[in-house]
Formats: sequence, C-alpha cells, structure tokens
Amino acid sequence: MSETIKADKVFDLKGLPCPMPVVKVSKGIKEVSVGQIIEAVTSDPGALSDFPAWAKTSGNQILKSEQVGKETHFFIKRVN
Amino acid sequence: MKTIYFLVLVPMVYLAFAVFLAGVIFQLLKVIKRPAFKPTLAIHPKRNPAFLWAILDALLLPTVWRHKRTLWFFLMAFHISFLMVFLGHLELITEMSWLQVIGHEIFMGQGFLGLIMSLALLYFFFRRFASPTKELSVPEDYLLLMLLFLTVVFGSEMDWARRWYDYGEMSVQEYRAYLSSIFMFKPSIAAVSTSGHSFMLVLHVFFANLFLMFFPFSHLMHSIFGFALNKIRRG
Amino acid sequence: MEKALREELISLFRGKLSGTMEMYLETCARCGICTEACHAYASMPLPKYTPAYRAEVVRRIYKKYFKWQGKTFPRIGECKVLDESAIDELKEAAYSCTGCRRCMVYCPFGIDTQQIMSIAKLLLVGAHAEPELLSLLADVSISKGESMDDLKEGFLEGVKSLESEVVEKWRQEAGRTPIPTEVVGADLLYVALAGAHSIIPAAAIFNAAGENWTLSFFEAVNFGAFVGDPSKTKIIMDRIVNEAKRLKVKEVCICECGTAFRVMSQLSGKQPFKVSSITRVHARYIKEGRIKVDKKKLSVPVTYHDPCQIARNAGVIDEPRYILSQLTDNFVEMSPEPKYNWCCGGGGGLVAMGEETLDFRMKSSRVKADQVRNTGAQVLATACENCHTQLSNINDHYKLGMNVQFLSSLIADALIR
Repeated sequence: MSETIKADKVFDLKGLPCPMPVVKVSKGIKEVSVGQIIEAVTSDPGALSDFPAWAKTSGNQILKSEQVGKETHFFIKRVN
Repeated sequence: MKTIYFLVLVPMVYLAFAVFLAGVIFQLLKVIKRPAFKPTLAIHPKRNPAFLWAILDALLLPTVWRHKRTLWFFLMAFHISFLMVFLGHLELITEMSWLQVIGHEIFMGQGFLGLIMSLALLYFFFRRFASPTKELSVPEDYLLLMLLFLTVVFGSEMDWARRWYDYGEMSVQEYRAYLSSIFMFKPSIAAVSTSGHSFMLVLHVFFANLFLMFFPFSHLMHSIFGFALNKIRRG
Repeated sequence: MEKALREELISLFRGKLSGTMEMYLETCARCGICTEACHAYASMPLPKYTPAYRAEVVRRIYKKYFKWQGKTFPRIGECKVLDESAIDELKEAAYSCTGCRRCMVYCPFGIDTQQIMSIAKLLLVGAHAEPELLSLLADVSISKGESMDDLKEGFLEGVKSLESEVVEKWRQEAGRTPIPTEVVGADLLYVALAGAHSIIPAAAIFNAAGENWTLSFFEAVNFGAFVGDPSKTKIIMDRIVNEAKRLKVKEVCICECGTAFRVMSQLSGKQPFKVSSITRVHARYIKEGRIKVDKKKLSVPVTYHDPCQIARNAGVIDEPRYILSQLTDNFVEMSPEPKYNWCCGGGGGLVAMGEETLDFRMKSSRVKADQVRNTGAQVLATACENCHTQLSNINDHYKLGMNVQFLSSLIADALIR
C-alpha cells in the first residue's frame, strides 16, 4: 500500500502509561463517524501488537501501519 | 402462670439448646463443605508462628486497641465478663472443683460482672446511633444487643438480690436443683418456681433462649469464625 | 430484572462461595472499626465509602438468597433483592474500592473486603454492567494471546527500535543483543508492560547484571483481574505461564505492576519456574554485587510509596528499602509501618479507566496527597505502573511539585561499572 491515507483525526499516543494507548485509541475511534479514519501514533512495542489485537476485538479495521523513524503510524477505519 | 413458667424453663430450654447446637453444626458444615480458597490471603509482613499470632489477634483484639481504644476497653470488659459468667453458670449446674482452684463465691465478681456487661452492652447499643456505624447497622445488630441486655439484666438482678440485698429464698442450691435436673433430663422446676424472684429467672431464661436460638444464624458466629479468619490473615 | 438473569447471577454468586468467603460473609459485626481505614472514606466521609458498607451491599444479597433469614425475616438483616437497583449499588461499591486491603489490617476478624468486592465485580460482569473499557482491555489481552504469531513481527520491530536507548543507559560487550527475545533456556523471562518506559531501564539493568534474560511478548497486567472475571484472569495469566514453559525459563520476573505480580505469584499455582517482582530481582543484583549503583546521583530527599499489591498484599517490603539505602542517604519513610500505607487511590482498575474516574480518584486521595506532602521529599519513588500514574495525577492535582519516579528508573540512572 503506497497510496496516502488521509486521517480525519490524529492521536499522539507515544510514551503513555499502561493501558492508555488502547484506552485512548478506543475512545478516539468514537470521536469520528463510521467510515472515517483515525491516525494513532505510537513508539511503544506493546502498543504495536495491542492495536491490531484491539482492532480485531472491537471490530475496527487497520488500513495501514507505517514506520517513520521510531514512530509507527496506524491508520484505523471506524467500522461500527 | 405456672404453665408459662414451665414452658419457658423446660421445653423452651431444650428447644433453644437443640436449635443452637444444630445451627452451629450446620454453619460449620456449610463452611467446611464449600470448596477451599487456595491462594493466600495473608497480610504482610508475616510473623511466625502464625497460628499463635492469630489466636492473640482473636483474643486480645490488637487492631481495636490501636484504632478505637474506648471500644476496646468495653469489648474486653464485656468478653472477659461473659467468659467468667459462663463459668459461673457451669457451677450452677453442679459443684465443679476444678473451677474452685481459686476459691470464690458463686458467681465470681461480687455481682459486678453483670454490671460491667450491662454497661458495655448499653455502650455497644448506643454507639450504633452515631454515624457511620448507624448507616452500617441493621435491625439484627440492635436486636441481638437488646436480647443480650435483657438476659444480662434479669440474670444480674438475681445475683444482685442475693449479694447486695441479702435475698435468701433462691440460693445456689435452688438453682442447682433446677439446672442439674435439666441436664439429667429429669426436669423439675419446683425449687425455682415459687419464690418472689422466680419471674426474674423466667425472664432471664426466656431471653437467653431467644438469644441462643438466634446465635448460629447471626453474626455471632464471629466467636468461632474469628479464629479461622485471623489465621487466614496471618497466613 | 428478568428471572432468568437473576437466577444466573445467583448461580455466579454461589460459584464464589468458598469456605473462606462464607466466613467473610457471616462474620462482620458491623462494628465500624474499618471505617477510617479506607482512603476514600478518610478523604470523603460518606458512609457508602466505608469498607463495611461496601461489603454489606454484597452481604445483603447473600442474606437474601443464601441464608434462612432471607426467606423468613428478610427485614432483620435488611436483605436485598437482586434487581437493577442492587446492580447500581454493586457498581458503586466495587468501583469505589481499590482492593488495597488496608481495611483488612483494621478489622478485628481480618475480613477481606477485596474478596467480597470480587463477588460484586463478577455479578456486574454477569449482568453486563461492568465498566466496558475493562472488559475490552481484557479481551484485547486474550486476543493477543490467540494471535501471537501474527502480531509478533510488529512487536519485535518495536523492540528493535528501543535498543539504542538501552545501550545509551548501559553499553555491553559487542555482539550481545540489548533486548533479547525468544531465548529458549533463558534464566529469566521478563514480563513488561506496553510502554517503552517499562522495558528500557529494566533491560539496561539486566544487561549490567549479565543476566541471561528474555523479554516476554505479553504485557504483565491482568485486566481480567481488574474487571473481576476469573475465567478471563486465568486465560490472560496462562499466556505468560505457557510462554515461560515453552522457553523453559527458571524465573518469571514481573515488571513494576502490582496487579500483575500478585496475580502471577498467588494465582498461578505450582509451576516449574519461580515468580519474582522486579524489585526483588534488583535488590538481589545489588546484594550479590552483580550491579553497582552510584549513591551520589540522588541527593534530594526521596520517599517511597509501597504499592498495596506488592507490599501489604505480597510482602515485597524490605527490598525497595534496601535498594533505596544503596541509592541515597536521604530516604524518608512515608508511613510509620508499610502495612498502614495509604493506597494511592488508583487500584482495582480505576486508573485503567482513565479520565472517567479521574474526579473520584482525586477526591478520594486527599489523604494520600497529605501523606506524600508531609514526607517533605522531592522524589517520590514507587514500583507499580498504576500507582505511578495515580501519584502523577495527584502530584498535578494537589500541586505537590514532586518528581514521581519508578524505582527501576532510579536504579538504571545510577548504574556504574
């Protein structure tokens, strides 16, 4: 996937204490409408596996994740 | 009147003891039959030997001493008096030489044990009228204290009458005649039913019966579970 | 409430009735000695915040369905029918309790309010009235366990990106991996949290001690325990147990997380590995001379907050004090006795619920703020992620102006050759 995805909202979730990355991303997704996209930025290893697990559990869709330096950007589409 | 005296002093006593014993056994079995909770529930730091500390916790109430000193004095006074009065009742069944190792008149305490218990019970009762104990208390708590208070007051009055007012009609002999007949399953109330103070005995026994029957189904089971739970806390 | 649901809840309740639990429920004399033990009550003196009142919310339901008086004289013990209003009460009781067990120290019988609250939490789960967020977090943990193979790559990439920061703190011999993963036969499996802050200092210290260690794929915290769902708690715990068995490690070391340590050390049963808290491991390294720390780094007064689940409830009390005695000459005790330390006010899942509970957490921790302030210390160290977050919130809210630190970070920053 090389096309650029435009996020409707961006959340910087770097360096947060446990379990705030997942808490904030699941609150954040509710701030956009179904079909819209959020961008979640993290640099914490746990979050890199938490986000996909969270997306699966909550039924949302990770469109893309890309690494920019130490940060990973997740583009997540609200499905329900 | 005689019938009422008899009903309270004989069949109701047997019933009360039966309910008390069956109830306590039922409650113990209920706890034993439930699955055990395996993980530790101890509080740290631990001290050894744990069982000894647990017994001390249950008997001396160090946590109450630390946090509610006035209550501690009343609790200790009440429970120690209760134990001594219990022994006194054993001596009212028949002569118990092992209890007379330290010679004393029956009851110990010169009548003051009952007084201490009455005052302590009033304290326990009225402290429940203050928040936040008020919000915690349920009717059961007041009812138990009232039953105990009435039992103690009528029981003590007989003791006080003998000791402080030289009332001689009902003495240790009369009480022994009645109580031992109950324990030998040859009940006779003749010795204690004709005196002017018999009504006190009847009321004392009546409230004590109610108390005994309520015991296993109330939080009074703390008298047994308190040891086990303190052991669990000590690890 | 529908009859079927009520019956299901009663059967869930029955499932929680161990012998010990029966005694906890039968014994309370409602004497009220526990009232001042609770930080919530001490900070906000409302009867509903006393431990005995919370327990009574559960006990009244117990009396209704499991005691003779519930059927004969329900008013004598104010028995409570299990209905919607009971669910509301259970929720208020369970989620205003942090499970710190300070009240258990006060109770003349040693009644464990946290245990009783575990019934409340389970009934809430059964009635689908538990905090959704906590259930979601537990489900995410479970899902992670199920799709470990798919998710591993992302995790390992993230770990790789931290290596340079670990090396900055402690440079080891060339050729050794700063953050080893998947090492079969390692001596120690380190179970961290999601954040880099729970991996970097720990890794530096392991490397400095020359430990043969490996990093777990999973996060240590157990959200199943927070939400009070025993089956989820077990699934989440077993992920780590199975990983430890697969890697054949001798020791599972739990990061600075109180719940994680207590669940792993007390609920995992007999295993081929031992369970340690990272604080215990660090104290051992210093004692054995495997790491050396510089005492000059910390000159300002330092105090230590004993996390309830690690100290009072699991016995790690002397070790943090030993570590601090090696890190500073300026240590100040917070509480006359560690078992009487006030809870930070963030346990039991409250911190994990984030902003939702912030107002209550701040109001209920007034006594904690006073206690911390009275130490006069400038550095506030602790060894639990939950406590750290809550103490940081308290620090901001009450303007304490302290520097809240993880004990492991203080050690990592003081490492010398």
